[in-house]
Amino acid sequence: MSPAAAGVLGIAALLALLLLRIPVAFAMFAVGFVGIWALNGAMAAMSLLASEAFTLASKPELIVIPLFILMGNVAARAGMSGQLYDAAYALIGSRRGGLASATVVGCGGFAALSGSSVAAALTMGKVALSEMERFRYDDRLSTGVIAAGGTLGILIPPSTGFVIYAILTEQSIGQLFLAGVLPGLLLLSLFVAVIGLLCRARPEIGPVGPRTSPAEKLRALAGAGPIAGVILLTIGGIYGGFFSPVEAAAVGAGAVILIGLATGRLRLRALWSATRDSVVTTATVMLILIAAHLLNPFMALSQIPEVIGGAIEELALTPTALLVMLLAIYVVLGCFLEGFAMLVLTLPIFFPIVAEAGIDPIFFGVLCVLALEMGLISPPVGLNVFIVKSVAPGVALGRIFVGVLPFWLTMLAALALLLAFPEIALFLPTTMIP
Amino acid sequence: MTRLRLWADRLIGLAAALGAAGLLFVMLVILTDVIGRTLGHPLYGAQDLSTMAMVIVVFGAMALCDRRGGHISVDLLERRFSGRLNRVLDIVSATLGAVIFVSLAWATWQSAALSQLLNLSTNLINLPKAWFQWVLMGFSLLTAFSLLLRAGELAFRDLDIRQDGETNA
Repeated sequence: MSPAAAGVLGIAALLALLLLRIPVAFAMFAVGFVGIWALNGAMAAMSLLASEAFTLASKPELIVIPLFILMGNVAARAGMSGQLYDAAYALIGSRRGGLASATVVGCGGFAALSGSSVAAALTMGKVALSEMERFRYDDRLSTGVIAAGGTLGILIPPSTGFVIYAILTEQSIGQLFLAGVLPGLLLLSLFVAVIGLLCRARPEIGPVGPRTSPAEKLRALAGAGPIAGVILLTIGGIYGGFFSPVEAAAVGAGAVILIGLATGRLRLRALWSATRDSVVTTATVMLILIAAHLLNPFMALSQIPEVIGGAIEELALTPTALLVMLLAIYVVLGCFLEGFAMLVLTLPIFFPIVAEAGIDPIFFGVLCVLALEMGLISPPVGLNVFIVKSVAPGVALGRIFVGVLPFWLTMLAALALLLAFPEIALFLPTTMIP
Repeated sequence: MTRLRLWADRLIGLAAALGAAGLLFVMLVILTDVIGRTLGHPLYGAQDLSTMAMVIVVFGAMALCDRRGGHISVDLLERRFSGRLNRVLDIVSATLGAVIFVSLAWATWQSAALSQLLNLSTNLINLPKAWFQWVLMGFSLLTAFSLLLRAGELAFRDLDIRQDGETNA
């Protein structure tokens, strides 16, 4: 069998296994292992299995994954999402649609503590949904805002999506983190603007919230002060060259634990539980990464990326047209595949093509993560929508999907803006202190 | 099988606890190194300690991850499949997982023997690589056992342990 035929057979087997609900990591392991065995022999497959598992598990750069997951989990247990929401609420909650805007700002703040969109949607949903219900917000707006706002978790650093992209494409985690900051803030601002426009068109969907006194504002802001300090310390530390991303993750996790324990909002039992949850999530992510490192060599051996790359080359697309085509594929795939799975399955094929076309890999990483973010709220399998449904069982799934639609379109607009002005993503990485 | 599950859950819980303790240890090592570096005394061998502890962090909770149903899968067609087919697929995927982890354990055992022969160790404080490869092997075998047990429970007792709470794990 020719390598290309083995590659095609491998991809078909992978898709079949995925559709048969075999866990993504197991399916990639099986196809990658059998594929290498078929093309290079059993010894090559076994030695790659042993070396990749140990090398990846002990790779220094990957320590950021469990540490940032720990930081987010501890922040959630210590109720920091509530403090962030209170601060945003005190500042803008009294405007029309203000509670929804405060939710988005709170999500953005929590995103800077946690690399997980699910954690952001879940914790902010628990905090903000009851408030919006109390002030009779339209349930499509309230649930849509939480599902969409939660997705900021994987764009605003620290982001597990960026770490996985960095490892698969051998790019700098620090540069990718910084590249996500301005697009994340841009998207956050666009979300707030869209809420304003929706509430201006139909004031009944987002009534004016209660006013807060200057003393209440000050108290709420002071409550969020230490959290803002942690965010500045970690992201600013990476930008200023004080910390590597791994050190920033350890400092951030340590600071969040200290703040939680010192303020009495975090008990030792909750800390232990958050740590256990963090290692479980780490196991999920790392197993997929290890499996990807078995599948990728198989793809390279089968020469499938070269074949597809050659076919795309014949189309003679400009870099922008190529990006539009790949992003369209990601947006469609995002409707059916889990985000990380989509990234690890497609990057071995897409990344060499992108690199060949001379597209900045950091820029492509930001676009990929933004497309992945859209998948989180795309029907029929948008994960964040199901998370919000679990917090708001009384709201029909269809209404939540209708609620996220304006925000999904906003993300599409953000993608277009980034394509037109790549500097939005590339400004911070190019000016960071090494 | 109930007694076996009880013991399996205890082992799974212990492995995850080691992983969690490993994560706190990694955080403390890096924090100590960063603070020490600011004071002009970085922690010697911090990277050796943290990277080797990561093996425990990553693989310690692998069995608990499966026990909780933490692996990502595409459930697009789940509702279209009959209950019987879904059960068969669950048994197949758990068995496949067990085969993968047994293969991983075997490949790592062979690699550890080579590391021992060549006396491979970390760069600064010379932690023997084989020790941590054996740890990886042990956790992989535990995960394989846990997956096989789950497959057995699904096949013979129609019980999906992932839907139960973690009594002991």
